[in-house]
Amino acid sequence: MQTLTVDSLVMNISEPEQVIESAAQPGSDKSIEVVPPVNTDVDTVDVANESVEARRARFERDAMQYVDQLYSAAMRMARNPSDAEDLVQEAYTKAFSAFHQYKPGTNLKAWLYRILTNTYINLYRKRQREPLQSNADSIEDWQLARAESHTSRGLRSAEADALDHLPDSDVKNALQAIPEEFRLAVYFADVEGYAYKEISEIMNTPIGTVMSRLHRGRKLLRDMLADYAVDRGYAKGAANELKEMEK
Amino acid sequence: MGDCQSLGDCDDARVGRIYEYLDGALSREDLIEIKVHLDGCADCAQEYDLECVIRTVVKRSCKEAAPATLKAAILARLHEGRPAEV
Repeated sequence: MQTLTVDSLVMNISEPEQVIESAAQPGSDKSIEVVPPVNTDVDTVDVANESVEARRARFERDAMQYVDQLYSAAMRMARNPSDAEDLVQEAYTKAFSAFHQYKPGTNLKAWLYRILTNTYINLYRKRQREPLQSNADSIEDWQLARAESHTSRGLRSAEADALDHLPDSDVKNALQAIPEEFRLAVYFADVEGYAYKEISEIMNTPIGTVMSRLHRGRKLLRDMLADYAVDRGYAKGAANELKEMEK
Repeated sequence: MGDCQSLGDCDDARVGRIYEYLDGALSREDLIEIKVHLDGCADCAQEYDLECVIRTVVKRSCKEAAPATLKAAILARLHEGRPAEV
């Protein structure tokens, strides 16, 4: 199991070209850098000669619309609103200082997410001096074994109904309970609908790693959600069957 | 369970194919193959439905509005010209 290290997530803001190139995979048609260098549709910004004032205006106009989305993602990283706010604030400050390196016309939101993720790894978590918040290796064995037992049992219709009734707080807690490298992959895929390649660029990990994190993260999440549904009494039939299986 | 060979020979592979299907990560041929399979296999269709529900629920639950003060604070700092901590 590959653990998430600070090094594996360092985003090289000063050399964005290299990062993009190393993340580029043959056979993938979606990319953060889908737009060729020459833009005709978007405003033709002369980034190199742009004044600070003009850059600031452009940043406010283009980047500020994503504050809610970045905050939502930050809430899945940090554990409370205050830390999430700090994280977003810092990410925006960094993004503005690096904005001359952002290529107009490319995916700005994904670029901001990459900075947010990097900020989280480098700044917030370092400051907390916490080890990885959960140990993916130890958590996965028993939980994945249980997640396996959920599949192909014919409980799924009842389960789906039950999950649909869960309050938001349960869903957020379930997400929070899965290892963070899985959680963020699931977040970027399921909430933002990013392609594997885009997630690999945001998280600076190979596509294969993204896919395996998603696969495992989703199984864990499903298992957690099922537990919450059982606790809420939404899925009594499913709960009884699960108990039978565990005997 | 129906004939799920086309999706893979174990539950894990099957679920993986459904994830890829939902993620839009499949080739056109694979996509059609899975769509046809889902139409005829109740087991896999339920699996697919459950995955859809989970995504909907996750998307719904994770939508948060940033506090108004945050946006103001970001703008204020931009105008201070304070360099970012690295």
